[in-house]
Amino acid sequence: MFSRRDFLRTSLQTSTLVALTPTVPSFLAQTARSAPPDRDGRVLVVIQLDGGNDGINTIVPFADPGYAKHRKALRLRTDQLHKIDKEVGFHAAMRDAADLLQAGRLAVVQGVSYPNPSRSHFKSMAIWQTANLNLKSDNDDLETRASFGWIGQALDGGRRPGDGSPDAVYVGTGSLPAALRSRRSQASAMTRPEDALLTLQPNARSMTAGVDTGKDLAAFVQRSTLQAYATSDRMRTLLAAKDQGSRYPATGLAQRLQVIARLLKTCCGTRVFYTSQPTNAYDTHYNQLFTHAQLLGELAGALRAFLDDLARSGLAERVAVLCFSEFGRRVQENGSQGTDHGTAGPVFVAGPSVRAGLVGPTPKLLDLQDGDLKVSIDFRQVYATILEDWLGLPARTALAGDFSRLPIFRS
Amino acid sequence: MSKLDEAWAPYVPSKEQPWNLRRVVHLHRRAGFAAIWQELRRDLTDGPGPSVDRLLKGQARINGVPEDFPKIANLLARSAHDPGRLKAWWIYRMYWGPDPLGERLTLMWHDHFATSNSKVGDLSAMRRQNEIFREHARGPFADLLKAVVHDPALLIWLDAPVNRKGQPNENLGRELMELFTLGVGAYTERDVKEAARVLTGWTVENGAFRYAVIGHDDGEKTLLGHKGRWHGDDLVRILLEHPATSRRLAWRICDLFFGENALAPSSIDALAAALREHQLEIAWAVETVLRSRAFFADANLGDSVLGPVEFVVGLPRALERFEPPPSSLLLAEWAARIGQDLFYPPNVGGWPSGRGWLGTQAIIGRANFAAALVEGKLTGRPSPVDGIALAERHQRGKDLHDLLTFYAELFTGMAPEPAWRERLITALGPTAERNPESVARAIALLMASPEVQLA
Repeated sequence: MFSRRDFLRTSLQTSTLVALTPTVPSFLAQTARSAPPDRDGRVLVVIQLDGGNDGINTIVPFADPGYAKHRKALRLRTDQLHKIDKEVGFHAAMRDAADLLQAGRLAVVQGVSYPNPSRSHFKSMAIWQTANLNLKSDNDDLETRASFGWIGQALDGGRRPGDGSPDAVYVGTGSLPAALRSRRSQASAMTRPEDALLTLQPNARSMTAGVDTGKDLAAFVQRSTLQAYATSDRMRTLLAAKDQGSRYPATGLAQRLQVIARLLKTCCGTRVFYTSQPTNAYDTHYNQLFTHAQLLGELAGALRAFLDDLARSGLAERVAVLCFSEFGRRVQENGSQGTDHGTAGPVFVAGPSVRAGLVGPTPKLLDLQDGDLKVSIDFRQVYATILEDWLGLPARTALAGDFSRLPIFRS
Repeated sequence: MSKLDEAWAPYVPSKEQPWNLRRVVHLHRRAGFAAIWQELRRDLTDGPGPSVDRLLKGQARINGVPEDFPKIANLLARSAHDPGRLKAWWIYRMYWGPDPLGERLTLMWHDHFATSNSKVGDLSAMRRQNEIFREHARGPFADLLKAVVHDPALLIWLDAPVNRKGQPNENLGRELMELFTLGVGAYTERDVKEAARVLTGWTVENGAFRYAVIGHDDGEKTLLGHKGRWHGDDLVRILLEHPATSRRLAWRICDLFFGENALAPSSIDALAAALREHQLEIAWAVETVLRSRAFFADANLGDSVLGPVEFVVGLPRALERFEPPPSSLLLAEWAARIGQDLFYPPNVGGWPSGRGWLGTQAIIGRANFAAALVEGKLTGRPSPVDGIALAERHQRGKDLHDLLTFYAELFTGMAPEPAWRERLITALGPTAERNPESVARAIALLMASPEVQLA
């Protein structure tokens, strides 16, 4: 799984320092900040919009005559949108996302889905998480649980983090998402940031002073302990410094992204973080307007706070954020001021390394397929782009095929 | 045993390799969950022969085995209706049962045939799988393997029910060969595809194994060079007969009992060859290993990382926390926090052992566990550890210096090296003296020390 050579390589990087300076937390902090953003240092953060986000009212095609035709109660006022170009604009609540796009930190991939999309929450989410379109059933049964995740499989094809960190971390409650399921890589869940803090009395750190130059393993344990305690100190400082200029809104998603930001700042080797907005939150069959505005506002605000925080810490170049939902919603609103399950929708990729703007053609609301938006981009193309262009991980096994990449990242 | 190499010859105490406290502690840490002081003294007196005998027979524990242990264990098993209680049941068995070696082997098989309830979603199936591991822990590997490949939890975990004629799913066949028997390199991708065909028809119905003839691909298959209209049981037979299986089995057993650099590959091969002569009898291999020179050699002392479950079960036990005992539910939670969530291995490859146990969160978790333990936060009613009383019960600890020595000996079998002692004294601070608070802190610092993470 992880060769001794890799361990020796990473441990040698710190061994001379430990010999010279028994307490090295500040050194470790500097190392984290100056680390070059090479492929191996890049991180993916995934935000799952659970329940089926209404893409039409997210990236609003205000100039499309189909919009006025199909959306009455749910039609958003053009003058309140944040325009992206002459055809589409962000929902009013997404001012922060519009700013990100203007600042070159957000790409919107339009019309994303897959052939013969499923309208079942469970099945479609399973498809998005496993990139396996051969799942037969609509129910939670053995068949749909049978696959590994697209991220898990891709991580299996890469190197393990050198410091014993998990390959992926899920931040939230509930079980690990299928996307992280793998044969060999390690994913863990983090719900309590307190788990990263040492409760043992403060000067426990003196317990690690000095190096055992004897047996290899003993020295490794010594160094790992030193690093762990230093990381805990750093985490404690971060938690205590309430106003380091990083202002996160008081929303659930923002809090979880803040946990992720802290983990990134304490320099662990984890490559993928995964979180979500609450289960089924976007499933707006009834009275969509208010709920949808809240959710989109939470998403945009949290995303911006997260990216700003990372930028201040010099970490933003290493991070890309993917936001997706398991399907869009029907073009025609229903009779309850809501929408039912649809097909294609927008996917966001955020971070300073993206090619900001729209990717792919804007779906036409008058050129429908059985009342649904036509699919222009297969989500596996987005995945292939992220895996290969961003993370430098092999995509073919993870996606069970080759998919042409999209111009999402700046080269 | 005539062909067995020197490593496996029986250990005989000598001046260079004396039977000392260190070796006694080593034996209990590797083959059990740490021993209490009385058990250590007894084994030191009696020598390696009887000490190993006792572990092999499940007679090593003096204290802390309730008379109605089987009854309580069964009760806990039957009332385990949520994951926490199922984990607590197993922790209870490890902490209180008479056969810690049996539980270590059960844990080894859980790691070897790593199945996670996150996908199986059936606690009673997971418990039945666990009981298979326990029942066959020392038996012939053939019996264990046959039972495991028909186990519903494993079959669900590795997609057997969706592996059907015309729609092969390679998961079970692949892991069976790569992880459970042959190991990487002893088969080809073609073999994996054929194995999937061979295994079609094996499914689970109403929580039990069923062979669905209709779903079975009845054609001729070529598997590892053998041609025939094979079905699942034939595959198991072919795998058991393949020499690579004996090597993987020898590797697995040595992985449990040996540290990083403690054994030459040729010794593992020799053990594998001997295992073949002994019909892959696990008990024979375990006994041979535990009585061997290699097991007690200097190279194998302190050269292994104590796993999370061993950590959370062994430390309170060594401190004789029997009345009140720590909560099994909490111990299971801590083990998970430190990196080993029973019944929920991260994937079919099992847990990352050795250095892989020591990620940042795990190390912090171990230190925090030590703090919680001495502060008495693991018991039903708060009950801090009284380190002075425990030492005095064993005529030790007349001053702080000897208290540190006593606890270091209890946990590692050795008095602390001067550098380690120095660090402890510094960490305790100038006001430390022989009072319960200072001693409790000292014990926590000891337990969190790098030295105590090494078994």
